[in-house]
Amino acid sequence: MGGLNTSLLIGMQALEANQAALNTTSNNIANSNTAGYTREVANFSENEENLDGDQVSGGGVTLEGIQSIRDELLNLQIQQQTSQQSSADTISSGLSSVEELFSSNGEDIATTLSAFSSSLSALSASPSSSSAQEAVVTAGQNLAQSFNTTANGLTTAQSAADQQVTQTVTSINSITQQIAQLNSQLSSTNTSETNGGTLEDQRDELVQQLSSLTGISITQSSDGEVITTGNGTPLVMGGQSYSLQTTTGSNGFQQVLDSNGNNITSDISGGTLGGAIQLRDTIIPGFQTSLDDLASQLAAKFNTAQEAGYDSTGSAGQAFFSVPTGTTGAAAGISVALTSGSQVAYSSDGTSGSNGNVANLTSALTTALSSGQTATAAYSSLVYQVGSASSNATAQSSALGTSLLQLTNQQSSVSGVDVDEETTNLIRYQTAYEAAARIVSTVQALNTVTLDMGSGQSY
Amino acid sequence: MRVFSNMVPDILADMQQTQSALNVALQQVSTGKSVSIPSDNPSASADMVQNTIESANVDQYTQNISSVLATVESANSALSSVVTSVTQAVSLGTEGANGTNNSTSLATLATQVQGILSDVISDANTAVSGTYIFGGTVTDTAPYTADSSSSTGYTYNGNNDSNSVAIGDNLNVQVNLPGSQIFSNSTNNVIGALSSLVTALQSGNSSQIESATTTVNSTINYLSQQEGFYSNAENQLNSQETYLKQDTVTLTTQATNLVGIDEATAATNLSEAETANSAALAAAAKVLPDSLLNYLSTPS
Repeated sequence: MGGLNTSLLIGMQALEANQAALNTTSNNIANSNTAGYTREVANFSENEENLDGDQVSGGGVTLEGIQSIRDELLNLQIQQQTSQQSSADTISSGLSSVEELFSSNGEDIATTLSAFSSSLSALSASPSSSSAQEAVVTAGQNLAQSFNTTANGLTTAQSAADQQVTQTVTSINSITQQIAQLNSQLSSTNTSETNGGTLEDQRDELVQQLSSLTGISITQSSDGEVITTGNGTPLVMGGQSYSLQTTTGSNGFQQVLDSNGNNITSDISGGTLGGAIQLRDTIIPGFQTSLDDLASQLAAKFNTAQEAGYDSTGSAGQAFFSVPTGTTGAAAGISVALTSGSQVAYSSDGTSGSNGNVANLTSALTTALSSGQTATAAYSSLVYQVGSASSNATAQSSALGTSLLQLTNQQSSVSGVDVDEETTNLIRYQTAYEAAARIVSTVQALNTVTLDMGSGQSY
Repeated sequence: MRVFSNMVPDILADMQQTQSALNVALQQVSTGKSVSIPSDNPSASADMVQNTIESANVDQYTQNISSVLATVESANSALSSVVTSVTQAVSLGTEGANGTNNSTSLATLATQVQGILSDVISDANTAVSGTYIFGGTVTDTAPYTADSSSSTGYTYNGNNDSNSVAIGDNLNVQVNLPGSQIFSNSTNNVIGALSSLVTALQSGNSSQIESATTTVNSTINYLSQQEGFYSNAENQLNSQETYLKQDTVTLTTQATNLVGIDEATAATNLSEAETANSAALAAAAKVLPDSLLNYLSTPS
């Protein structure tokens, strides 16, 4: 049967355990707003009981350890959705500048095309008016300028996405190095007894950041966490990180290479990197092709019509627009070749009063181009493409945002620090600590009484 | 399941959502447009391209009509004046052919008919803002000029072409007839007939005068037909102008339906968005400060 000292010992253990729990609680409260922090819980266990003959008495309490509460499956889902959302966000913000080019802003192609068409119609009413002739050339120049501005705007957006690729790769490399370092620290400290705690929180937070940069896939191996890109290119294997590289490709844009030098640009999806690559290599080039086709076909058709007529001096019409050879770059390079309104070939018979060729010039704008669509229809379908690409990306981002919020809430309900809960715990541990302290003081008082029994004097 | 009492993420998401709805509603009210950039409504934006171009064309067709109408009206009135002159010439010719005139009065008649011929030539040389309207597509030279080598005393400097002006999509109206068709046609040559009448009157031969008068008389019908062409063109232009006015209304209505916004709806949306936003903020203000700590007394 244990003596008073047993009680003293149990009281002391209780003080220690509850103090540790108080520390955990205060740490939780301190980190309640720290990104990536997972709440910690002090795990107590009762000590082995003391056996004395038939008598069994409790052996007090021991602090088993401090455990971080996390749900790896939820983390994985959050990472995947973060990748997708970040990709959609990159596309959406990249397209917002592109969209402006196709908005009705007074200098867009729709406006200048309609002004060009009006100027031709005005020329039909007064063919010999030199101001009407000049107006056609000016309207043509404005149209060419709109094509140039739009094409340059697309190129600018493409270059911005290209820069984003380089920057993102740098960020990815920096993060994978940190993760590898944390992995090696974790493998040396991560014994079965303690869990990673702070280190693991840091790593999870970095992995979360990494997932917003590119789509990743995570597996556990004996060396620790293995992180690869969506197509299996290793980024981190245990304590080793593998840097991605960039190099200028044949198209003038940065290509992403794995650590062995293989080009993996087209395999990357998800995250800022995936979004920027998709924007740069697929979405914007699609618009550019449509715009170039339109510029080149419109110029060709209008030039043919112009060459069928005669200008105000009776000379055969010369090409109105000048476009670079080949379709690529047509929109960026289109310009008006005529230098004066008198060169507009409005006459069909060589006399200066005839407007017979204006109908041909007009029909170049109103009848189907070689694509089978009229210029107006081709441009309006391009506007539709741009608008729907942008609205789809935005809608996708917002839908993913909603589901991410739910996942984050779920994660918070597992790992988040709830201040009310911690306050309750604080009171719980405070009470227990006070009670344990009372045990110690009570035992001390009892000891005094016991010592007093044997002597005359008082201790 | 553990219920998490921290509502900050949800409240933030709600506030962002209501704020963004408020921004959209405000933008719609302040711009009067429901579509500002293509992604607001891709298909409406695409349709607006068509609408913009059609509206500009309709405006231009309307302007074309008013400028062409001036030409056509001048041509029409010039032709009626020619018909009046030629009718006078017929009565002068009839007077000359009745055999009661002496040579002096015949010479007077000849001079009068010569004057009528000059009037007709002057009408045939009508110009509207510097552009001759009866010279075919030769508009910078007077169509008829005196030429002693010609049998009629005048030569035609124009050509046989005509201009058509666009007044609608795929609708062109011919706006002039060449003088060679109206005044010096091979079968109905007004100028030739008048010139022959002058010659006949000068010669004093009654049967010649009578025959020349008949020829002049026959051209009146023909001239009336040509006048009919201009009247038709005038009618066509006027009715197209009416149609274009309606079309402008249709296009404006279409544009409003595509990218515009009904002000009442917009105002209602704005006030709804305001209410939702205030509610979200009020809820946040009420819920966020709630904590167990508020109810605990300070440890003594």
